[in-house]
Amino acid sequence: MILFKMAVRELLTHKKRSIVTLALSTFSTALFIFANALNNGSHNQIIRSSVEIYPGYMQITNRAFEDNPNFDNLIFDAANVTKILHKIDEINASAVRFEAYALYSTDEQSIGGMFTAIEPENEAHVSRLKRSLVEGEYLSRDDTNALYLGVELAKRLGVGVGDKLSFISTGADYSFAADNLVVKGLFKTKLYEFDNTAGFVNKGYFDEVMQSRNIATHIIMTPTDVKQIDTVTQKVQNALEADLEVKNYKTTLEDLILAMEIDTIFGYITLGIFFIVIFFVIGIFAFLSVYARIRQIGVLRAIGTTPKQVMRMLLIEAMILGCLSVGLGGAAGAYASHHYEKYPIEIASLVDVDAQEYAKQYNMVAEATFPAEFNPPRILMDMLIMMLLNLMTVLYPILLINRFTPTEAIRYV
Amino acid sequence: MKMESWNRGNDKSFIKILYPKQDRGITFLKIDTTMWQYVPKIEKTIKIPSSMMMQSWMGSDFTNDDMAKESSIVEDYNPQLTAEDANKYTLTLLPKPDAPVVWGKIVMEVEKEHFIPLRAIYYDEEGGVQRILTYSGVKVYGSRYLPTVMTLIPQDKKSNKTVVTMDEVDFNALIEDERFTKNALIRYSR
Repeated sequence: MILFKMAVRELLTHKKRSIVTLALSTFSTALFIFANALNNGSHNQIIRSSVEIYPGYMQITNRAFEDNPNFDNLIFDAANVTKILHKIDEINASAVRFEAYALYSTDEQSIGGMFTAIEPENEAHVSRLKRSLVEGEYLSRDDTNALYLGVELAKRLGVGVGDKLSFISTGADYSFAADNLVVKGLFKTKLYEFDNTAGFVNKGYFDEVMQSRNIATHIIMTPTDVKQIDTVTQKVQNALEADLEVKNYKTTLEDLILAMEIDTIFGYITLGIFFIVIFFVIGIFAFLSVYARIRQIGVLRAIGTTPKQVMRMLLIEAMILGCLSVGLGGAAGAYASHHYEKYPIEIASLVDVDAQEYAKQYNMVAEATFPAEFNPPRILMDMLIMMLLNLMTVLYPILLINRFTPTEAIRYV
Repeated sequence: MKMESWNRGNDKSFIKILYPKQDRGITFLKIDTTMWQYVPKIEKTIKIPSSMMMQSWMGSDFTNDDMAKESSIVEDYNPQLTAEDANKYTLTLLPKPDAPVVWGKIVMEVEKEHFIPLRAIYYDEEGGVQRILTYSGVKVYGSRYLPTVMTLIPQDKKSNKTVVTMDEVDFNALIEDERFTKNALIRYSR
């Protein structure tokens, strides 16, 4: 207790020094927590957007479809698969798709693109297609000849809502398929390549012209709990025939997830450099503050204070400052993380120019907002790291000072 | 599927689908390397863009490029005689440096006496065999020897096969110029 009192008195006596150390450590803690939160939040958002815009969290395809994506390798009883999925509690929603390729043609232009059948109502639960509507209307289950078109493809074709165009394609039975369509709605997902190539029609209509009744290329699913996705993937796989394959976004978007992991590693390297700088700044400050008191410590040693007690006293000082600064910095960092999770940072000007080009090039979502991630366990972990860092900074000065004999310390100038 | 085809040299051709019923009247016109298609069901003439040339033609294993002959084995490839036996020559065709072609190599076997193609093996750029086109059913039309059956087997879908059989061939027939115009697509569709 006496050591604690001495430590407190020492901190109060040298207020300026204590306040500077406290401020430095508080700022570093807050910055560290917020930088981590922003990094993780942005990565989560990029992955979430990329998953939810179109690919979906989980998908079923014919096992041979990935290597040979032709009409011989389809899901030939989509209704039965859907029925099985309905019995699995961990599946929140599912939707059937048939992806084909078509030549869209207007009087002026003919452009090849994706021609995909969706179940409009079910699709709204597994992707953001419906929410990506920018003009006109989304599809409905009774639609015939209605096309929901990507804005960039619409621009290239020179069509808008209400305009007519035609398509020619190959049906599921390899027959020739063609029909006239009317643009019902335009969508913009921020995935440039997708908006530039994709068109959607109601599956009921598609089945008539493409001979694809009860046939699908993909069945997309959303699990009830995304955190359990690997378990759910396995459960669905076990419930299906062996010729069908279930994958989740960790496989279908493997490259993107790998890119995010690499970016996280670079983030940690940057934070590592930040750590070293902070460690030395706080360390130098601790070193100077301990060395300024060398004669005082010499007197304490002369009246019987042991080196261990000196070490404890200095550690208590560091602990008090550390607890206060990590507490304050932690609170500030947590508040900032929480705030920017709710109200993400907007950098629209950046997205308008460079980021959009970058996103186009890598087929990523050009995000205008950067949310933080408010993750209490992670914040507590960051606070613990900063606390240890604070304590480590005084270890070296303590070791040095305890090498002095009481006489050397008292005479030290 | 049944169709009629009119050709003038290698540059102009016109195709009309006669069967099956739902496809009857679909017409194709190819002039040089450009191809149009008329679809009576939607009453529309569609120009096939270059990007679609490697897509399947009418659901068959042939591509639009095969029908339009956008890439020419004479103009786009350098031939090399790589083997010869008593009955046939084997030619290896390698694409010219700037030729807009998709095949990495074509190996053609040609019968010696009448220069009738026997087989063409198409390779991708990695050297994998993509498809094999076999010619058979040689018939004599005056002084011409013509294989009237072409069988195409894609190697990635070996259960698939497209066979083209020529029932009637008429050389030096009088074909009106109007046949090779865009208007003909609609007119001769009926």
